[in-house]
Amino acid sequence: MIGALAAAVLALASRDPEGPYRIVLLPGARAPGAHGEARLVFAASPFGVAVTADGRHRYNVRISAANLPAPATLGPYHALVAWEVSPDLTEWHRLGTVSGDTATVGETSMNKFLLVITAEATAGSTTHTGPIVLHGTSPSGWLQTFLTHPLFRGISQ
Amino acid sequence: MIRRTACALGLFAAAAGPLQAQDSTSMAGMQGMQMGAAASMPIPMPAGMMILPALAGLLPPVAPFLPGIGVDRSMLAATTPTTIVRLRNGDTLDLTATLVSRNIRGKAFVMYGFNGQIPGPLIRVAQHATITVRFHNHIDLPSSVHWHGLRLDNRDDGVPGLTQHEVPPGGDYTYTVRFPDAGIYWYHPHVREDIEQAMGLYGSMLVDSPDSDYYSPANSEQSLMLGDLMINADTLIPFGREAPDFALMGRVGNIPLVNGEPDWSLTVKRGQVVRFFFTDVASSRTWNVSFPGVAMKVVASDQSRFEREESVASVVLAPAERYVIEARFDRPGRFPLVNAIQAINHYKGEFEAVVDTLGWVTVDSSPATPDYAASFTHLRANAAVSADIARYRQYFSRPPDKQLTLTVAVTALPLFTVQFMSIDTAYFHPVEWVDGMPDMNWLSTASQVRWIIRDDATGKENDAIDWQVKRGDVIKLRIYNDPKSFHPMQHPIHLHGQRMLVVARDGVPTANLVWKDTVLIPVGSTVDLLIDASNPGDWMLHCHIAEHLGSGMMTTMHVR
Ligand SMILES: [Cu+2]
Repeated sequence: MIGALAAAVLALASRDPEGPYRIVLLPGARAPGAHGEARLVFAASPFGVAVTADGRHRYNVRISAANLPAPATLGPYHALVAWEVSPDLTEWHRLGTVSGDTATVGETSMNKFLLVITAEATAGSTTHTGPIVLHGTSPSGWLQTFLTHPLFRGISQ
Repeated sequence: MIRRTACALGLFAAAAGPLQAQDSTSMAGMQGMQMGAAASMPIPMPAGMMILPALAGLLPPVAPFLPGIGVDRSMLAATTPTTIVRLRNGDTLDLTATLVSRNIRGKAFVMYGFNGQIPGPLIRVAQHATITVRFHNHIDLPSSVHWHGLRLDNRDDGVPGLTQHEVPPGGDYTYTVRFPDAGIYWYHPHVREDIEQAMGLYGSMLVDSPDSDYYSPANSEQSLMLGDLMINADTLIPFGREAPDFALMGRVGNIPLVNGEPDWSLTVKRGQVVRFFFTDVASSRTWNVSFPGVAMKVVASDQSRFEREESVASVVLAPAERYVIEARFDRPGRFPLVNAIQAINHYKGEFEAVVDTLGWVTVDSSPATPDYAASFTHLRANAAVSADIARYRQYFSRPPDKQLTLTVAVTALPLFTVQFMSIDTAYFHPVEWVDGMPDMNWLSTASQVRWIIRDDATGKENDAIDWQVKRGDVIKLRIYNDPKSFHPMQHPIHLHGQRMLVVARDGVPTANLVWKDTVLIPVGSTVDLLIDASNPGDWMLHCHIAEHLGSGMMTTMHVR
């Protein structure tokens, strides 16, 4: 029981203090110095909260990144492109191109998604082929199967 | 996808357990709530969701309450259809709150109605009219009437403890109600809204502009008040007598209602343009409604038209918000009105699409006359709205005059609830569209949960904030909904007696402005409001989730 309580406290403490809108971006193997984060900002809507007709939240993805490699240093690439990717990696939707500064790259409305930035041959690439520069998980990725949570396994495992 | 209709009562029959049919002659049905740990929870659970064994024997630490205890239901009149009452300047309306017998899907329940109706009479007046309303309280609780969104005189605001005393059962109170702004407004009690409003005490007020071109032409107009009811098989789920239950996220009913009905319907002609006045009268539920396949545009909200009309795929309404929507039904057939949301299943760690069908529009093949196709397609810019707002633009980017933070404190909740919620808050929807954990929510009451509006400058909370404002000032108010609290949740914040603009959300300026009295603030969001503090008096600022208000989430702005 004490272990479970401690797990609960740990889980609470490890929560992203900025809540449901921040994505920490981690470097891919080919760009170890790159880092950054993305913020999900509600898309414009007369209702304040932007939602699709079937209830998925609509966000503009605003990326701020640093130490991004020049695409050409990674191979035959000329642009960095951001993608929203389904958690099973089967769906890749192009959001937009990424440069060094903070930029809104596009709109996402997936419930859970991975945010991936790759080097691509052209800024207009519509399929991903190049190496991953940065990647992160939407805050909704924290939503996990409750029954496999450490609360039921104890923190020693 | 889970596709539900309001007829899913059978789903909950298995959980009927200790609660018997609402008993009209004794306390027997109520005492069922007090059965011991062996009893299963009487509250309805979402399809496929279990009641956690650790919680199954627990009861909220309040006595159960339902309207009309000890009253013979057979002596109560059944509700009658909502009437449209057109009043002229100087007219008087008698508005009587009574116990009524309400039939929902063949089951009769004791509820409350205004003048025997749910919703109460639709009051239709001309802009700038002043009317007198003689309120008579014939229900079994003290009450009052708040005229939501109207910039009326403070003494008529209907807030016991601030502008009047509670009207006791058997008592009367006379309100002078004036209508300075065109649009859709509503009235409801400001006493135990979690009970009185949920049980049927609400009605619309439709205020007509003298400008015949105020809205684009429409073939018809409909007021749709969206609410919900919590029923288990054949009984209403009791409320907390001493304090609201469902205090964590509010009571989200399992039966969606349009104008108090689980089966709303409308018949129109092909090509008909219908102007819908939507109002969210639910205790807690935020809606995302649409007529799939039907073109809609949003025209106006709480207190004015938008600067520009916009085409929309759905309408998002938080408790107490209003939106004026025009829809054109251009093909014959049957079109559902649906509420479509993404629920969170905390057990599976997944999102689940949920679609509730709230009603149907049947479109005849005969054509509507006149045919307003051309004017419907045109998205109007409302220059008068922009001109009115123009003189406030100088204040948009200035630093806030006051900053408030929304949060919550809890004490003495069941240990399992505390543990589960601590884990669970790893991710919360910025807007909780449905109650994913009704068992835990039910057990939380206003004696354990305190929802908080905190003044960042002084650290003072709720009632203790003594906010003085000079009449005529334009106040910039920044409100932050803290995601780090025990149970973060969206809050529809309502300001009485004034009007305000949402000038920015999370630092992003609002592109298309509209005068509001209620603003939805998702978890983790910051809104910047510009308040036109033109109306003197003591005005409440509070969350419109009835159980949050009942758990302390309110403060007062004094305009002198
Ligand atoms: Cu609230």
